[in-house]
Amino acid sequence: MTLALAARIARREMRGGLAGFRVFLTCLALGVAAIAGVGMVRAAIEVGLRDQGAVLLGGDAEMGFTARFADDAERAMMAGMSAQVSEIVDFRSMVLVGEDRRALTQVKGIDGFYPLTGDVVLDPALPLDQALAPVDGIPGAVMDRVLVDRLGLKTGDLFTLGVQRFRLAAALLREPDGAMGGFALGPRTIVLTSGLARSGLLEAGTQFETAYRLALPGGVVLSALQSKAEAAFRDKGMRWSDSRQAAPGAERFVDRIGSFLILVGLSGLAVGGVGVSAAVRAYLESKVATIATLKTLGAAGATIFQVYLLQVAVLSGLGVGLGLLMGAGVPLLAAPWIEASLPFPVAFGLYPLPLLEAAFYGIVTAFVFTLWPLARFAQVRAAALYRGGGHAGWPGLRHWFALAGLIVALLAGAIVFSGSMMLAISTAGGVLAALVVLALAALALRRLARRAAQWGVVRGRTALRLALGAIGGPREEAMSVILSLGLGLSVLATVGQIDSNLRSAISRDLPTRAPSYFFVDIQQDQIDGFLARLKDDPGVSKVESAPMLRGIITLINGQDAGAASGNHWVVQGDRGVTYSDSQPDNAKVVAGQWWPEGYSGPAQVSFAAEEASEMGLQLGDSITVNILGREIEATITSFREVNFSTAGMGFVMSMNANALSGAPHSFISTVYAAETAEAPLLRDLAGAYPNITAIRVRDAIDRVTEALTAIATATAWAAGASLLTGFVVLIGAAAAGVRSRMQEAAVLKVLGATRARILLSFALRSALLGTAAGAVAIVAGGLAGWAVMRFVMESDYAFEPVSALVIVVSGVFATLLAGLGFSWQPLSARPARVLRADE
Amino acid sequence: MTDTILALKDVALTLAGNAGMVEILRGVTLNIARGETVGLVGPSGSGKSSLLMLMGGLERATSGEITALGADLTAMNEDALARFRRGNMGVVFQSFHLIPTMTALENVALPMELAGVGDAFTRAEVELRTVGLAARMQHFPRQLSGGEQQRVALARAAAPRPAILLADEPTGNLDGANGAAIMDLLFGLRDQHEATLVLVTHAPELAARCDRVVRLADGRIAGEGMV
Repeated sequence: MTLALAARIARREMRGGLAGFRVFLTCLALGVAAIAGVGMVRAAIEVGLRDQGAVLLGGDAEMGFTARFADDAERAMMAGMSAQVSEIVDFRSMVLVGEDRRALTQVKGIDGFYPLTGDVVLDPALPLDQALAPVDGIPGAVMDRVLVDRLGLKTGDLFTLGVQRFRLAAALLREPDGAMGGFALGPRTIVLTSGLARSGLLEAGTQFETAYRLALPGGVVLSALQSKAEAAFRDKGMRWSDSRQAAPGAERFVDRIGSFLILVGLSGLAVGGVGVSAAVRAYLESKVATIATLKTLGAAGATIFQVYLLQVAVLSGLGVGLGLLMGAGVPLLAAPWIEASLPFPVAFGLYPLPLLEAAFYGIVTAFVFTLWPLARFAQVRAAALYRGGGHAGWPGLRHWFALAGLIVALLAGAIVFSGSMMLAISTAGGVLAALVVLALAALALRRLARRAAQWGVVRGRTALRLALGAIGGPREEAMSVILSLGLGLSVLATVGQIDSNLRSAISRDLPTRAPSYFFVDIQQDQIDGFLARLKDDPGVSKVESAPMLRGIITLINGQDAGAASGNHWVVQGDRGVTYSDSQPDNAKVVAGQWWPEGYSGPAQVSFAAEEASEMGLQLGDSITVNILGREIEATITSFREVNFSTAGMGFVMSMNANALSGAPHSFISTVYAAETAEAPLLRDLAGAYPNITAIRVRDAIDRVTEALTAIATATAWAAGASLLTGFVVLIGAAAAGVRSRMQEAAVLKVLGATRARILLSFALRSALLGTAAGAVAIVAGGLAGWAVMRFVMESDYAFEPVSALVIVVSGVFATLLAGLGFSWQPLSARPARVLRADE
Repeated sequence: MTDTILALKDVALTLAGNAGMVEILRGVTLNIARGETVGLVGPSGSGKSSLLMLMGGLERATSGEITALGADLTAMNEDALARFRRGNMGVVFQSFHLIPTMTALENVALPMELAGVGDAFTRAEVELRTVGLAARMQHFPRQLSGGEQQRVALARAAAPRPAILLADEPTGNLDGANGAAIMDLLFGLRDQHEATLVLVTHAPELAARCDRVVRLADGRIAGEGMV
C-alpha cells in the first residue's frame, strides 16, 4: 500500500521532466557503456575463439612433442582414432637472403594435409600445395608479408633456411591456426617438412616442436579421447589439446586483460557516481518545500524515502539502459576496425552476460551514490516550510547497513565477474583509497584557499582573492571538481608513470645487464669453433654457453608433478635442462652440495632455489623428467640461485653430465657484445654455421615493449572513459554554479568590477582547481607507480616529469574549459535584473 | 466544563540563530476548546507562527507539554507526528505550498491518499467544487492565480475532515478581494465541518471574526479576550 502510494507520488513528481538529470543520465550511461563495451568485445573474442576452436587448432585435437617426432606406436594410435592426421614441425631459424640480409623467422614445416580446417590466404592467391611445390628442384615457401618486406624479397626470389635454398612463392596473408603460436619472436615462414630434410635444421638435439593435428570422426567424445591418449603417452612427454579450448593462452590473456579493463571502467563509474550524487543532491535540494509539504500532510520519512528512491530507480534504469545501448552498439559499429586489428577471430553479436554485468555495476553504483542524499533528505522536517533550511541530522542505522550491503554487493559482483578476488579487491581498494585521498585533498584545498584569501600578499589582487574566496567558500565546487577530475587523472597518471618507468628500465638495464644475442641449436661439433670466433673478438665482453635440452617434469617423488607442485608454472610445459660435470663459476649454490667432478652414479639435479621453494621441493626429493621421450629420475642434491630477470642464461634444472651427455643435444650461448660489434659477429657466425639461430635480445625486448605499449594504450582508453565522465561531472558542477556566479558577478559589477576582472577571477578559480586535481593525481599516480615498479616489477622507480606535466595541464585545461564555458551568462546579465529577481 | 482539544502548558521554544540561541517562545500556556475559533495576533517576531507550528507538530518544543486530541505531541517523533496529522489536522500557509508537479485534484487528494482513504479523489472533487474550482481540477499550481492556489490549499486542508484547522496568515499573499473570499471560505469550511480553527493574522477584521483572540508579544501571551 505504502509503496503503491509512493509510486503514485513519484510518478507525479517526475512530470517535471528530465532536464535536471542530464548529468545524472550522462554519467551513468558513460560508465555503463564503457564497461558493457569492453565486456562485449571480450565476449566476442571468447566466442570467436571457441567457435573457431578447430580452425585455430588446425584440427579437432592435437598431440604435441618437444624436439622429436612421434614414434611408430604413437602414430599407430593417432591413425586409429582419427580420420586424418597432419604433421606439423615448428621451430625458429634464420632466413638468409644473398650474403648478408638476415632475419629471424618462425618456420612451420607441413605435410600435404595441412590445413585440416580453415584456409591459408596467399598473395598472389595460389593454392598452398602449388605454392610449396618444388620448381627446378628448389622447394617453394610462403612468408609473412612483414618479413617479405623487411628482407626486400619479391615472388620468385631465393632465400636460405639452414643450408637449404627455398623459392618465395607468395606472401602469407593469413594462416588459420595463426593465433596458436603465442608469443613468436619472428614472423612466419611455411614450407613442406620434406623440403627441410637437407636443411640441417632438424638434426637430433636441435630445438623444435612437433604437432599432430587430428581430424576426428563425428560423435567422438573429446574428453574420453584425451584420457585415453594421456594414459598411453603422458609419460613420453605428449601434450594434448583440442578444440574445446584451442587457444588457452590467448583466452586467458583476453579474459585477464578484459577483467582488468572492466575494473578500470568501474573507476570511471565511480567518477560518474560523484556526478550522480551531486545531481540527486541538487534535485532533492529543490524539493525541500515539497518534502516538507508532504510531511505536513502526513507523509512519514519512509514514504518520502520511497518516493525519491523510486525516482532514482527509474532514472538509473534509464541511464543504465542508455549505457547498455551505447556499450552494445559502439563495438558493433566498430566491429570491422576491431576485427582487422586483432589476431584472433572475433564473433560480434549481442551477448547478455556482459550487458548484465554492466547493468549490475551501473545500478548498484547509482544506489551507492544516491542512498546517502536520499536518506538525509527524507529527514527534512516540516518546519522547513516556514523556517527554511534543509536536511536534518544523519541517516539512521538501517541506511548505514543498506549502504554497507550495497558496497559488499558491488565488491562481491566484481569478484564474481572478474574471477579474481585479488584483482577486484585491489582495484576497489585503489579506487576507494583514491576517493578518500581526493576528498581529503579537496577539504585541505578549501581550508588553504580560505586562509590564503586573507594573506597580505593577496591584497590588491582582487581577482585572485575572489578566486581563493570562492574555492574556500561554502559551495561544494572544489569537492566536485577534485573528485570527478582527480580520479580519472590519477588512473592516467599511474599508467603514465608505470609505462615510462618500464621503458626507461629496459633502456637503462639492457646495455649493462642483458646479453646482445642468444644463439641456439649450436651442434656439438660446432661449439668449439663457435667459441673460438668469439674469443678473438675485442667487441665481445662475455660469453656463456651451456648444453641445452628440453624436458617436462612428469613426477615429483613418484606423484603427478602438477598435483604435487600446486600446478606451478615450471611443470606446465617443457623447460630447458642443462648439465655440467663441475660446478660452473656462475652457479651460486645456496643449499646442498654440487656433485663431485667425474660423478657417474645415479642422476642428480641442482634446482633453481626460488622455484623449488614455491613448489615445496626439499633436498633429497626425486623428480622425473621426460627428455626426448625418455624418463630420467634424478635426486635433488642442491639448490642454486637463478636470476631470470636479466635475460641471461637461466636453467631451472642442471643435471650431472653423465645423466644427459649421451642424449642428443645442442648448445645455447649468450654473447655480451658492444652494439658496434653485433653486426659483423652475426655475419661471421651465421655464415659459418647456417643452422644456428641467432635471437637479438634488443628485438625480443622490442616485441615485449610493443605488447606492454598495447596494454598501456588499452588501459589509457579505459581511463579516458573515466576522464570523459569526469568532464561531464565538471560541466554539471559548472552549470549548477551559474546561478551563484550570476549573483556574484552582479554584486561585483555594482561595486565597480569590470567584466575582464570578473572573468579573470572565474578563470583563476578554474585553473587553481584544475591544478589541484592534477597535483593530487600526480601524487596518487606516483605512489601507485612506485608500488607497482617496486613490488610487482621488482625494479627501480624514478618520477617521470613529462607525463606528470601532461596530467596537470590536462587538469587545468579541462576545468578552464568547463568553467569558462559557463561564464558567459553571468558576465552578460544585467546586474539590476539579477538582483531584483533574487529579492 | 469545556472539552479541550489543544492544550499547551508552559511551552518554550529556543532556536539557534546567527547570533546565538534565540528564545522564540517563553512559557506559553494555552487551552483551546473543541469547535472554538482562536486568532493569534501580535507584532512580527512575537512568535505567532512558531506557536501555530508547535500546535501542528511541525516544530518541536524545547520544553513544556503540548496535547492535541488527548495525544502528547512532545512525546512523538517526526514520523509519528506526520501520521497523527493525517485526518486530525489541516494546515494552511501564507505561501500556499502546493506541490508544483501535482494537479489541483491530486494536491487535494494527497493527504487522504496518505491516510489510506479509499475514495480520496471523489472527496477531493467535492471539496474543490465547494471552494469553486470545479473547472480547475486538472490544472497545475503554476496555471492558477494566487487566490485559486490558496483555495486549493484550503480544500486540501479541509478535505480529510480534520478536527483542527491551523492557518498561518492565509491571506498574507493575496489582495483584498481575494483575501476576503478566502476568509469566507475558511470560516465556511470550519462551520461546515465543525472544526477547531486557529488562525494567525495581522488583520484586525479577521481577528474580529474569531471567538477568542490571543495576543502575543516577545514570545509570551500578552493578553487574550473573547470577542
